[in-house]
Amino acid sequence: MANKVAQEAISERAQPKPGRLIWLCAAAWMVPGLGHLLLGKKWRALILFSAIVIMFLMGIAMQGEFFSTGTESYLQTLGYFGEMCVGLAMPAARFFGYAGGNPLFVSADYGSAYLIAAGMLNALAVLDTYDIAVGRKP
Amino acid sequence: MVVAHFPAMLLFSFLVSVVFGVLAKNTPRERIIYGAWVFAAFVGVALVLGWIMYPVP
Repeated sequence: MANKVAQEAISERAQPKPGRLIWLCAAAWMVPGLGHLLLGKKWRALILFSAIVIMFLMGIAMQGEFFSTGTESYLQTLGYFGEMCVGLAMPAARFFGYAGGNPLFVSADYGSAYLIAAGMLNALAVLDTYDIAVGRKP
Repeated sequence: MVVAHFPAMLLFSFLVSVVFGVLAKNTPRERIIYGAWVFAAFVGVALVLGWIMYPVP
């Protein structure tokens, strides 16, 4: 009953246009926390940005590997998509000279885990942005 | 940068806990409690698994 009332309340509320939803989600994907910032959740945006970017930078500092889809390993392909979820940070790192890590470096495995986790956390942040935009979350 | 196992695990747990806390709960108090709980769970489970795997060659 309460669930039905909540659903009706959501549907009665003004729904954002699909274009704005896509823009919000794209912004949230490109820069961690930007979706929340555009929705007026400044502190949430700052915390998400800080945590995800610190995680990504630590992954780079530990020589984490940038995976590619060109291999036969499904796990590496999944790792590539995981890292892609972090948005513009990956091309930015390449732009500033990061060659994609050194798999033989002693902390490289940890670094890769950090990079993939940063992407996964950003994917959660994108979903959270969507939920806030459609009114499912305060 | 070379980071030892335990600090790397602590930092990872902390950052993931912060994001989980922010995303999963709606009030600051709930977020802090949930984040602390997730952090403790990460570290506790890692330590327990570490000791369980200790005798494994």
